[in-house]
Parts: sequence; structure tokens; C-alpha cells
Amino acid sequence: MISIKNLQKSYKGVKAVDIDTLEIHAGEVIGLVGNNGAGKTTFFRLLLDLIRASGGEIFSKGNLVTASEDWKSYTAAYIDEGFLIDYLTPEEYFYFVGKLNQLSKADVDDFLQTYQAFFDDAILKKGKYIRDFSKGNQFKIGIIAALLTNPELLILDEPFANLDPTTQLRLVDMIKQMAADKRMCIIVSSHDINHVSEVSSRILLMEKGKIIKDIAGGEAAYDEMVEYFKVK
Amino acid sequence: MTLSTFLAHQWHSFWRARNANKSLALQIILGIFYLLIFIEIAGLGILLPYLIKESMPGKDPIVLFCSYIIYYFLVGLLARFQLQELPSLSIQPYLTQNIKRSSMLHFLNVRSLVHVINVLPFFVFIPFSIVVILPAYGAVATICFLISMFALVFNNHFLNMYIKRKSVDNSWWFFAVVAAIAILKGADYFKLISFEKSSADIFIGLLHQPLFCIIPLAIAIITFVLNNNYLRSHLYIEELVSERKLTISKSYSLLDRYGDIGEMISLDLKLIFRNKRPKSLVILSGVILLYGFMFYPKYLQTGNYTMLFLFALIITGLFISNYGQFLFAWQSSHFDGMMSYNINMKQYIKAKFLLFVTVCSLQFLIASFYGFMGWQIIPIQIAAFLYSIGVNSFVTIYAATYNYKYLNLSKSASLNFQGIGALQWLQSLLISFGPVLVFFLLNKFIGFWTAIISISSLGIIGLAFNRKIINWLAEQFNIRKHKILEGFRER
Repeated sequence: MISIKNLQKSYKGVKAVDIDTLEIHAGEVIGLVGNNGAGKTTFFRLLLDLIRASGGEIFSKGNLVTASEDWKSYTAAYIDEGFLIDYLTPEEYFYFVGKLNQLSKADVDDFLQTYQAFFDDAILKKGKYIRDFSKGNQFKIGIIAALLTNPELLILDEPFANLDPTTQLRLVDMIKQMAADKRMCIIVSSHDINHVSEVSSRILLMEKGKIIKDIAGGEAAYDEMVEYFKVK
Repeated sequence: MTLSTFLAHQWHSFWRARNANKSLALQIILGIFYLLIFIEIAGLGILLPYLIKESMPGKDPIVLFCSYIIYYFLVGLLARFQLQELPSLSIQPYLTQNIKRSSMLHFLNVRSLVHVINVLPFFVFIPFSIVVILPAYGAVATICFLISMFALVFNNHFLNMYIKRKSVDNSWWFFAVVAAIAILKGADYFKLISFEKSSADIFIGLLHQPLFCIIPLAIAIITFVLNNNYLRSHLYIEELVSERKLTISKSYSLLDRYGDIGEMISLDLKLIFRNKRPKSLVILSGVILLYGFMFYPKYLQTGNYTMLFLFALIITGLFISNYGQFLFAWQSSHFDGMMSYNINMKQYIKAKFLLFVTVCSLQFLIASFYGFMGWQIIPIQIAAFLYSIGVNSFVTIYAATYNYKYLNLSKSASLNFQGIGALQWLQSLLISFGPVLVFFLLNKFIGFWTAIISISSLGIIGLAFNRKIINWLAEQFNIRKHKILEGFRER
């Protein structure tokens, strides 16, 4: 799915991302962990061609993300509010994103129907613009819009941080299910080592731009992360 | 926490704003621009009596001046509605700090006074009073006259704030005041009352009985107290900024038929109609349509086709340059998203181009009614229209790929230079004067029709090659895409 060679991004001489090689495959759920400033969000932006790499290459299904726009048709992401068109209502926004991916209004409505529980009646048919929703609800809107397109590659930046506990648990289940049913490739970053070790099939631990650990998810990964993050 | 600390923070926030220091050259140009305006206005104050004497001999400049004071303050109040914003949000971070409410109120009041519109009047009143009133009525009367004027400026300022705050509760307040002013003006127009006469009576009377200046002073104090009390009891953020209205979701179903491009155009339309700043720009483009009534007859009479062409260009093409200078910046708050949605860049640019064509055609159609003033208007407007959509639109899109500045959609547009760089100034100059110069030369040395046909052909050539140009623009956009994204992320 994703193949990375010598990827580097530096700001004023400091390397924010520095990855020699990395292969990510379809069906994998990658948990990206690391303290603030480790380079997680920068890495995501590089994957989406939102910033220019200082060196190296990212291939998505064999195509350079900087050269071809093909990746846009099967990639969905939610990083921050910068992905939401805040003067639209949630419905309009979903229809917009749906339309760009050849989904009719009826398709979108069907999809939203299945995620009603996720919205908890707080988002649809409220007659409000996205900018007037709370941060947590904006986050839900962003995540659902990303899922809506049924992508092959899904990128979520700290999805657990802004959600209420119920929704966090729901999202954990959703991620696991999507990866299993649709062989979706999902990359999530998180500070919540509990959730991340539960959803991820593989965990990448970043420190100062480098991937210093590449381990399988699960109980063992949780213990290893606790060991790493423990105050020394 | 003293007032000076508050003001120091405001000072920092002004100078440390992300976009403030970036281009020193622009700051200097703007500084000179403001300075010139101030000097001109002060000069106007001094020269006014002489101008009056020269243009209307036999009239007393003081009487004439006084007869327009009421009018001035009413128009001033309307202008303030547009230009002055409530400085409420700036106190948000302080509300939870250990600061007395009274000092916050104090800050809000003082902070709001710092505005060009409060400074300008003094540049007229002071020189005029010293040059004209002082010799005629003496020092006491002059001082009292000035005190009254200051009081009235002060009153206008706080009245505007008060009305604006009241309209946060209930927007009818605003309309009621505007309606009241309109009715007064109407009564004046139909000679039921006379602004000029009553204004002259009141203020000449004031010069004879200077101590009556306590009346305007009292009015100003009452307004201030009203405003202050209202603020004191409403010092909550949600009550200070205007409540957002419930959505009236318009869908542009006509555009649904045109696929992704239609979808993106309808997105732009929603952007325009749901956000303060683009909305006021578009309203301005509409008002500009009326320019024809003011300028066309004059230049038709003198046969000055170059000027007619200039105004035709402004009337048909203002939307393109106004909206287009921030073409991508309008979406700066969600540009990360725009660049990762499933949108092809060529389609994205094409949608922008078609938006220009649509709105410009609309302006052109409406403006065609000016053809009744004289047949020359029609070919001139056709040339201007073709040039606008065939050349200006592409130039504008190209220039927009160099605009890296974040734009806040909710701030009002008037006197707002956020997001404007030196390049945008250059561009507006080029767009308006380039073709006018060509038209002028051709019209002067060869002939009217040559000028019309040449300008129109330029537009038609641009339209004929639109696909090629759009592809090239998409490439240009992609070259600078990361720089644009980076700039937009800096808020």
C-alpha cells in the first residue's frame, strides 16, 4: 500500500521526520505513538502531500504521491479542523465529500443511517453550521466524512483525544471491524497507549522523527510502551 | 491588571500578528497612504473657508459649515455601523483571570475609541475652528464649539457601540435606527423639516451662547453611561458577540447536474453567502453596478470612450478582481482538506474559472440596460466583458497562486487589509489600467472600432484556449501548492 524510502523533512536544520524505509500493507492497522514533537502529524501531512519533503519518496500503490493525484481517490484523512468546511452544515459537508467520490445523496443518507449511534443524535438535522459545533462533535463529523468514502487507506490523527469515552470505545470497535472486513489500511496516531495497543496490528514508535520501534500490537506492545513512556 | 497592561497586550497582538511584519514595504506604503489621507483631510479643514468663499461667494462659511453638522453626524453614524466592530472578543482570555470587572469595562471602552473614524473629525474641526471661528467669535466660543464637537463624536461612538450591542440581542434595533435615519432624511428631502436650517440655527446659536455646550456634553455622558451599564450586565462572551442565526440551507440544485465542478461552484457560492467578508465584497460588486448612472452620462456627452471603457471594466469585472485576489485564501481555513479530498486540480481551477464567467456574465447582462443611455455603451461593455472573462480571470487565478496568506472569513471587509500582499496591489493596478491604456492608445491613434475589436479579440483568444490555459494554471498551482498550504496554516 505505502512504501517509503529515505523520507526526510527538516525545519531549520532540525529533522522532524527521518524514515529510512517503511512498508505498510493493506489490512494493517498501524498505531503511531510518540511524545509531542516526535513527528507524527508531519508524517501524516507528508503522506497526504500537504508539505514538501526535504528528501526521499513516498509511493502509494506504486505511484509517487507528489507526482500523481491517484491516491486521492482511495485515501481519506482527518487530521484537524483544517479538513472541515466550517460554513457548511454537517449534511451538506457529507454530501459534498460523497459527491466527490461518486456517491449520491441517497448513498450518503444510507451510510449515515448506519452510523446514527456514533452521532448520538447531536449532529444531524440540527440546522447548524459545522463551525458552531463543539470540538468533539466537529471531530466526529470529520471522522465520519473520512469513513464515508469507503477508502482503502484511512489516516486519523489522534482520533481518541477529542472524543467522549463512549465514542472512543465505539471507534475502537469500528476500526478493528473495518480493517478485518474490508482489508482497509488504517493509520492512527494516539497518545492513548491503551486504545492504540488494542486496535493496532502493528505499532510504530516515533522519537525525534525516527521510527525507533516497529512491533506487533497487543498486550506485549502495551507493556513495551509503558516501559518506554515511563518517567525515568 | 491596569489599563496600560491591556493596551500593551493589544499593541503586541497588533505587531506580532502573523501577517503584520511580513512585508515591511507594504506596511510603509500603507503608512504613507494613511498619512496622505490625514494631511489631505487636515488641509481640507484649513482650506474649507476659502473654498466656500470662492465657489459660493456671498455665503458665510460658518453658517454653511454649521448647516451640515447634523447631516455629518447622521452619515457618520451609518458609516460607523459599517466600519467599527465591537472589540469584545479580545477580553475573552481575561475573563477568568483575577481582574476586576470594572477595569475590563474600562479597557473595552478605551480600546474601542482607538479607531481612525474617531481621529479623522478632529483634523477637520480643529483647523476650521482656529482659522475661521476664532477670529469671528473669540476664544471662549471656539473652545466651547470644539467641546461640543468632541462630545458629539464621543456620543456617536458610544451610540454606535450601544446600538450594535443591542442588535446582538435583537437585530431589529439596527434596522429601527437605520429606518429612523432614512425617515428623517426623507422628511428633509420633501422639505417637511430642514436639516440644514435647524443645524445652522442650533450651532450658530451655540456660538452665540457658548455655555450651551453642556447640552452635547450631557448627551455624550448619558450615552456613555447607557453603554457602560449595558456592558456591565452583559460581560459574557456569548452575549457580547452576535449570536449566529439558524441555518437556512439553500441548495443550488441547478448546479447538481454539473458534477464535481458544479459541486465546487456551489461550495464557493455558499462560502460567499455564509461569511461576512466575502458577502460584503459581493454586495459591493452589486453596488458598483450603479456606477453607470453616475459616470456614463458625463463621459458619453464628452465622447471620452477611454473613461467609459474604464468604468465598463470596473462594472463588469469587479467581482473577478475582488473575489479573485483571495481566490484560494477564502478557503484557507480548510485548505488542508481541499487538497486531500478527491478533487483533480484541473477541475478545481476550472470550477474557479467558471464561477468567474457565471458571475461576470450576470453583471454584464444587468449592465446591458445602460445601452439605453447611448449605443456606444454596448460595444464598450461587450469588449470589457470579453476581456474580463477571457484575460482578467486567468491573470487573477495566476496571481492568486502567489497569495500565501491566511484569511479570516468572519471579519468585516471594510478597511481590512488582512491577507493582502504587495502583489495584490500591483495586480489590481495592472488589471484595471493595462487594458485601459491599450484601449486609449488604439482609440486615439487608430479608431474606436479597432480598439473595441482588439480588446474583444484578446478576450476571445483567451476563451478559445481556456483548456490549455487552465492546464497550465493547474501546473503553476501545483508548483506552489506546498507554499500556499504552509502559508494558510499560519494563522
